[in-house]
Parts: sequence; structure tokens; C-alpha cells
Amino acid sequence: MRGRVVVGAAVAAAVSACVPQTRYHWGQYDSALYQHYKNPQDREAYVEALKTTILEAEQLGMKVPPGICAEYGYALFEEGQAAQSLPWFQREKETWPESTVLMDKMIRNAQRRGTQPPPPATGPAGAVESRS
Amino acid sequence: MTSRRIALAAAVVAVVTGCATVPQKDYTKFVAAQPRSILVVPVMNKSVSLTASDYFLSTIPIPLAERGYYVFPVNLVKRLLEDEGLNDPGLVHSADPMRLASTFGADAVLYITIEQWDAKYILVQTNVTVAFSYVLKDGKTGTVLWEDHQKMVYASGDGGGGLLGAIISAAVTRAAPDYMPLARKANAQAMVYPGPGFPAGPYRPDEYRKDVQLPQQDASGAPTKQPASL
Repeated sequence: MRGRVVVGAAVAAAVSACVPQTRYHWGQYDSALYQHYKNPQDREAYVEALKTTILEAEQLGMKVPPGICAEYGYALFEEGQAAQSLPWFQREKETWPESTVLMDKMIRNAQRRGTQPPPPATGPAGAVESRS
Repeated sequence: MTSRRIALAAAVVAVVTGCATVPQKDYTKFVAAQPRSILVVPVMNKSVSLTASDYFLSTIPIPLAERGYYVFPVNLVKRLLEDEGLNDPGLVHSADPMRLASTFGADAVLYITIEQWDAKYILVQTNVTVAFSYVLKDGKTGTVLWEDHQKMVYASGDGGGGLLGAIISAAVTRAAPDYMPLARKANAQAMVYPGPGFPAGPYRPDEYRKDVQLPQQDASGAPTKQPASL
């Protein structure tokens, strides 16, 4: 009987590995990114999807998935809203300590940009700080 | 062999076939490196499709993060690399992985190459094929920790509805063959574990560092002999 239990557990574990169960709430993130790459003009829908994913994850009481707060912050940064991007980079860093090196760079970039007039909307996206 | 063992073996066989093939890989280096975070760099494209690279990139973060790793924001990373003059994924793939990893603070770098992404039309049938290679390199040493290859083929036109139905479905597919479901399926197969994919990362705490069976070590520390087919 004990053997059966083991077999049953093994099958259940293997089946659950076959049927993906998501650990995070992703919302429309991947399809919105795909659409954004397909039609780069259609940027608003992508940014909106990032924001919605964050809000929905919060409502569900779940951790916002890796990268989403950083992508949202970067979208704001690209739109010239450097000051508004800061808390999102900060939040990515606090939620996911693995992002610390990159987020510290983004925070420094945003702080530097925040003290300057915003770039023209069509200008190059915020350059990463030059490596020393 | 006891009946219990036979039952277990049968269950394992059934499960294995249910998940497609499960090649045994050596995870020694992967486990030793203990990556927590994975930098997915822009996808290199060797196919005839001009747009496949970005499209495919959008399918990577979710299945990878779901394996329990921190996955760097792929679009942000892509834009930063472009700002650095690395517009061509080929340039990124040929760059020093250790330097890339230290720039972003990543434990490991995942390089993906599209080998095939095309549709062929034979009479009323459409064959859509995608093929990818995946290589994970250690950010500290640059050594390959894991790699995989997936190829998926979808054949349309053999559905019902007679000849007219087949012609219509082929025409629809010809207008806009949808590669994305195939691409997602390839990723799912490449990343699943147990299977050819990623053992659980630190954000799957129940399985992390418990799900990998490394080859048995003998007293001298050398791996015991494994069957050649593995």
C-alpha cells in the first residue's frame, strides 16, 4: 500500500509538471509585449498592460512578477517621466534583490535625468550610464 | 521484480511518454553554479523571418520565471544594449558573457538562437516549422551550464470539411501563419523539469535544490560510470 502511495505521488508530481500552474499573475504582459514589437507605434497598450498586471497582482495579494515593475518604470523613463520612474525601479529592487545592480544604475540614470529638462519625446531612449 | 516495482516502472514510463522525451543531462555544473538570476539577451535570428527575434523574445520571461528564477526585464535589457550600440543580437551573443553578467549583476546569461521559423506550402497543406537552440552560460566563468534544442512542426490542411474546407484553412494560415503557439510549446518543452529543462530555482522553495539527481560519486570523487546512451 505504501508503494502505491509513492507511485501516486510520483504521478501527481509529474502530471503537475506537465500541466503548467503559474506562480505569478502575469496578466497580458507577454501578449502586450508581442503586440508592441509587432507594432511599435502601439506603445500605450503595452504600458497599460504592465500597469494592469501590477494592479491585478496587488489585488490578488500576489508578488508582482520579476521584471514587471522595472519594465513599467522604464516605460515611464522613456516617456520623459524620470521622476515617476524612480519608485518603480526602487520597488523592483526591493521585491527582487537580484535586480539590485541594474536597478541602482536605473535609479542613478533617472535621478540624473530628473534634474534635467525632459528629452524630446522622439529622442533616443535613456542611455545606460557609461561604464567606468 | 516485485509487482510493486513493475507498477512503479509502468507509472514512470507512462508519465515520461506523457511529457515527451526526457533526455538525461548532467546538471553538475548547473547545481554548482546555483544561479538565482538569469539575463535573457536579445534572440539571435538565423531564420528567414525578419521579425522573429523580437516576437520570440516576448515568449521567454514567463516560462523561465515560473521555474523559480529572477528574470531580468527583457525589453529594458534589449533597449539598454541598443543604447550601447549592440543593436544586433549577434554582437551581444559574441560579447564576453562575464562582462555582460557583471554589467547587469546577473548570475547567468541565456542565449537563444532561432534556427528555423518558416512556413512551407504544399498544395493545400501548410507546414509551419520553428527550431531553437538555448544556451545558458555562467556569469562568473562563462562556461556552459545548460543547453537545449527544440524543433516543432505544425501541419495544417489535413482537417475535415473536404477539399473546400482544406483550401480555406490553408488560405487563412497562409495569410498569417501563427508561430507563437509553436514557439511557446517549444519553450515549455525546453524548460520543463523533470525533463530537459531548468531545475527549480530559489523562488520555487519547495523544490529548490531537492529536485536534481546528480550522478553518484564514488569514494575517489569521480563520477561512477554512466550508461553510454545517457
